[in-house]
Amino acid sequence: MIKRWTVAAQTLQHALASGLALSTVWVSTQIPAAAAPQDQDEPAQDITVVLEQGQQRARFRIAVPDPDTSAAAPRTSVASLDLTTVLRQDLEASGVFSVQGPEQLSVLSLTGDRLRDAPLYQSLGNELLLESAVREEKGLLVLEGRIFQLSGGETILGKRYRGGYELSRRMAHTFADEIVRYFTGRRGVALTAIAFHSDRDGLTRGGDPRREVYLMDYDGWNQRAVTAHESMSMSPAWSPGSDAIAYVTYVENELVSIYSVDVRTGAKTPVVRSGGFNSSPAFSPDGRKIAFARTVGGGNTEIFVSHRDGSNLVRLTNANGIDTNPAWSPTGREIAFTSGRSGRPQIYVMGAEGTDLRRATFTGDYNDGAEWSPDGARIVHSSRRSSGTSFDLALTDLTTNETRLLTAGVAGSHESPSFSPDGRRIAYQTTRSSRTGTDTQIYVVELAGGGHRQLTRQGHNWAPDWSGYLE
Amino acid sequence: MNRKWIALASTWIAALLLVVGCSGGKQPEPAPIVEEPEPVVAPVVVKPPPAPPVMDDEKPLWDEDVEAFNDATRDPSHALYGLIGDVYFEFDKYELKPEARERLAKNARFMREHPRKVFRLEGHCDERGTNEYNLALGERRANAARSYLLSLGVPAAQMRTISYGEERPTCMTHAESCWSQNRRAAFYLASELG
Repeated sequence: MIKRWTVAAQTLQHALASGLALSTVWVSTQIPAAAAPQDQDEPAQDITVVLEQGQQRARFRIAVPDPDTSAAAPRTSVASLDLTTVLRQDLEASGVFSVQGPEQLSVLSLTGDRLRDAPLYQSLGNELLLESAVREEKGLLVLEGRIFQLSGGETILGKRYRGGYELSRRMAHTFADEIVRYFTGRRGVALTAIAFHSDRDGLTRGGDPRREVYLMDYDGWNQRAVTAHESMSMSPAWSPGSDAIAYVTYVENELVSIYSVDVRTGAKTPVVRSGGFNSSPAFSPDGRKIAFARTVGGGNTEIFVSHRDGSNLVRLTNANGIDTNPAWSPTGREIAFTSGRSGRPQIYVMGAEGTDLRRATFTGDYNDGAEWSPDGARIVHSSRRSSGTSFDLALTDLTTNETRLLTAGVAGSHESPSFSPDGRRIAYQTTRSSRTGTDTQIYVVELAGGGHRQLTRQGHNWAPDWSGYLE
Repeated sequence: MNRKWIALASTWIAALLLVVGCSGGKQPEPAPIVEEPEPVVAPVVVKPPPAPPVMDDEKPLWDEDVEAFNDATRDPSHALYGLIGDVYFEFDKYELKPEARERLAKNARFMREHPRKVFRLEGHCDERGTNEYNLALGERRANAARSYLLSLGVPAAQMRTISYGEERPTCMTHAESCWSQNRRAAFYLASELG
């Protein structure tokens, strides 16, 4: 044991020397009651996700054995095993790694000596080994994680994290994101969050349908309400800094207005409460403006933009048909939205000042819910099937206007897609697991091919919006 | 209980004011007979006048209980059924069909006859569109009904519109038999003009 720690210290120094500073996690945000684990994988055979010339992304193969807990106190032992499980799930969910855990590794006669064990790990096809060591120090949990290249035996990444026991998932997420960054140049999304709205709180006191805006971690954990208006509060939209969420609310009775909630403090501020009907808010990428749909005379909705506080209201569209559901391009120079001006809802793109209008979708007679890919080249949206009763997720290339269905043949209706900030996966609402056809839940699918993971199970859940990177 | 009395009282006070204020109007309501309140402890209750002859020996429901009125107009077995009614739309459409115009003409008559009654016009959709687009479509449907009522002489002050999109279906089966009932502009008596 002593010998092992000496080696560990050296490898950590090695990591330091190669410019990988040891990180410390001190997080003091309020941690709401954790939800039940909701991250079961599902078989992936029923999806047609073909993005990059039909190629599924090749993955790094990494072994992640359980840490040695023989000398640990019971609660440290439990925490370290949990933390390592989260690490495995994060790495597998990243789409970058193919992970082997204790189950697959149990066929090996491991000695505990890494150099001797390396060929054994390799015999199962692994290229990398992630060793985690978790201990308690002054009441805090300390995670030390190292990644070894099995062929050369070299440590290529070493990190240390420290925090309260309640932060163990967060420590694992932080480490997983760093590992993904090391191997792809782009940070993982294990620390991001998904906003949505839910009817899980039942009815209002007056017996009317109730919707509240909720938040969950990217893996479905930690589901918690961020509104409690006891009204219908819907269609959450993250601010680019992920510090606020705009949403539509019926809390002012006949005036459908847009509010904003500060994610940290829970403070709610009315943003747009004039006119009669305001919906579908979307923050501009610089966080200074909000685009939304708003009724003008005769009940026709048009796209408007205002400053973030609701001032400086400017109308962008003017058509005798419904215009709604705006989405800013990543540069903020363009806005995609849905318009019924051709008779059927189709997605259009215009400049952020309302000029240079062009139609984006030509396949299918009902397209709505555009969201831009982080690179701005494509939009993901809902596209109604010819049966007229359900929707597919679809990707439309904004250069060629070619539309590709992502869920062709998958039973159920799939709507309201939202990209993860790394562009690798999509959260969406779907009735795919519903016997009655109405049980709407939030799922995540990896674009490069992979399983659909169900994130919500309680009540009905709609309109997922993926946060940016959380700082 | 107290609140209900106060509401009732204010309703009648409002009715009284209306009659006083509009004595030269076209369709004066029957003059209410106002008795002095009992000189006992609060609340101050203005006793209602004799009811218009809608239902024997009862006060008109629309003055009494908004909820009960809204239920009654939707209950085929009730005497008030159809006094005011909802209108229905084609799939993905917000244009008024001929039968919708007929229905709205009847609604307009009742609304003009009761000029202090404010109605909430709710736009609804079936479940087959997207939630977001349906919110806008419901708004359009409620406003299509409102515009037609305006053209029939119903004052704007008597109408408020709201869209619930597909969030509040009235019928839950996943078939056209239900969808056609859900694609509607629903009329609800909401309040009294202040």
